Amino acid sequence: MCNMDKLMTIKEAAFDYQSKQVFHDINFELHAGEIFCLFGPNGCGKSTLLECILGLLKLKNGNIYIKDTDINLLKPKEIAQQIAYVPQVHKKTFPYKVIDIVLMGRAANTGFFGTPDPADLEIAEQSLSVVGMDKYRDTPYTMLSGGETQLIMLARALAQQTPIIVMDEPTAHLDFKHELVILENVVKLVKEQGVALIMATHFPNHAFYFENKGIRTLVALMNNKSFADFGAPSSIISEINMRKTFNIDSKLIDFPLAVGERIRQIIPVNTVSPEY
Amino acid sequence: MNRTALLIALVLAPCMLIFVSLFIGRYPIDFITVLKVFLSYFTSIEVADIDKTVVMDIRLPRVLLGAFVGASLAISGAAFQGLFRNPLVNSGLLGVSSGAGFGAALAIIIFSNTLLIYVFAFGFGVLAVVASYLIARTYNTAPSIMLVLGGVIVSSIFSSLISLAKYVADPYDQLPTIVFWLMGSLATARYQDLLYAGVPMLVGIIGLVLMRWHLNILSMGDKEARTLGTNTNLMKTLVIGFATLATAGAVCVSGIIGWVGLVIPHIARMIVGNDNRILIPVTISLGASYLVLIDNMARMLTGSEIPLGILTAIVGGPFFVFILKRTKGASW
Repeated sequence: MCNMDKLMTIKEAAFDYQSKQVFHDINFELHAGEIFCLFGPNGCGKSTLLECILGLLKLKNGNIYIKDTDINLLKPKEIAQQIAYVPQVHKKTFPYKVIDIVLMGRAANTGFFGTPDPADLEIAEQSLSVVGMDKYRDTPYTMLSGGETQLIMLARALAQQTPIIVMDEPTAHLDFKHELVILENVVKLVKEQGVALIMATHFPNHAFYFENKGIRTLVALMNNKSFADFGAPSSIISEINMRKTFNIDSKLIDFPLAVGERIRQIIPVNTVSPEY
Repeated sequence: MNRTALLIALVLAPCMLIFVSLFIGRYPIDFITVLKVFLSYFTSIEVADIDKTVVMDIRLPRVLLGAFVGASLAISGAAFQGLFRNPLVNSGLLGVSSGAGFGAALAIIIFSNTLLIYVFAFGFGVLAVVASYLIARTYNTAPSIMLVLGGVIVSSIFSSLISLAKYVADPYDQLPTIVFWLMGSLATARYQDLLYAGVPMLVGIIGLVLMRWHLNILSMGDKEARTLGTNTNLMKTLVIGFATLATAGAVCVSGIIGWVGLVIPHIARMIVGNDNRILIPVTISLGASYLVLIDNMARMLTGSEIPLGILTAIVGGPFFVFILKRTKGASW
């Protein structure tokens, strides 16, 4: 796969919810091997944009193209063959076995009245080992912790074998270790499997993390119903942008971690009253 | 437990129970006589006409119908539990039972013709589900919570209409018929019933069996199911359609038999887990076995028949508690 394969194009996208504008004039392109971080305050429309990208909601204006096809022309099954989804929180009802959950990622490749075949099971098993959860294969997934569940959701998305994975705040509610485990897995997927990732996040440092790992990372700062700024993490995530977007003072630090490796982070310091 | 052994047990259990049921009853027929009756069709063995009539025309259709009804109620209950992501729902969730109850009561008052009772019960059962679905339908989809709400509304309207029907019914003739119908019974079962009601039950059961794996996916919720590639609107409509065919087919010939559609899926969950690929077929076996067993009790326990709707809970309740304690609520 060529590294500049264009997987998705969004043009002039706008969405209204009951005549209340949620976002407008959204434009971007996504290529294989890229991570696109959607970053912005609560209620800025990140999740709505993700739902449009997943085909769950229809844009009011503009277009979303998956490769070269308008998303409105695709059936749920065809969308799911291109885009997999890792939810923010997964509500568990029945204590399915971990492997059965991962196997559900094969639905888009299974007939209407069909059940998955041994090849699907094989793919599910592999996906489970990629995220390092194969030892929980037969555990009821209701017994897993939040972080472990998120890894299972990631494995399920992986079993879907799509070029694009969409994640909605995948590390919300996770502890330090599991946050890193998720991020490390994401880096592995992008680097080794060449998937492209669209990720809504509240943590600007995630974008730095990916950039520090040498992945082509783009950040869209979503504010006032559109992309306020757009570009590489080091140019977007700045003290001035934090102030404009969140009304906070912050401190950007850049620190040598080891020889030839640096860590860049932004630290929130205090809130300031809004500028008029 | 060994899977093959389990599979064999699940196929054999209802068959054995159906066979055993043939020599259970007020009129004494022993094992050998039942065998002779069967063999008389293929060989020149002579059997008394009365034995043949009791086994082939009275007991066999009743037992087969019981197996079908039990299987239909259990499989629909399991399917609804998956679809609505709620282990507490049963096959009557969308109002099919109360609708069918009202249809039957109406037919008893107006026509007092058995065939029309079936037709009305089936028709109103389906109508109730369609009404629930239409109530729930907003913005081109039917969210599960709205469906549940629609079902509650429709069920209570039809329950009131059943009360109205009882109120206006002739208290010496029609009222007892309505009351007994609502308590459920297989006492009048004939091959005809199996023929009429068997078709929707069979279509519903086969449909749900074919869709069993997609029930797993629907139980992830609408949003995730969509992103996994499922046309949730179509799938939900189909599951509701098949479950309604099966339940309405069952209820129209048997009356209202509660509990099977709730408890059998749970017992199945405790034995084989929650994967619908295995669970759905298992509920067929358990549902059929359970209702055949209960119907035998209904025939045998007292001098006159006990309505099935009473026995399913009285026997099923303690049995459920026993299973619950035995497996310590396994996997819940």
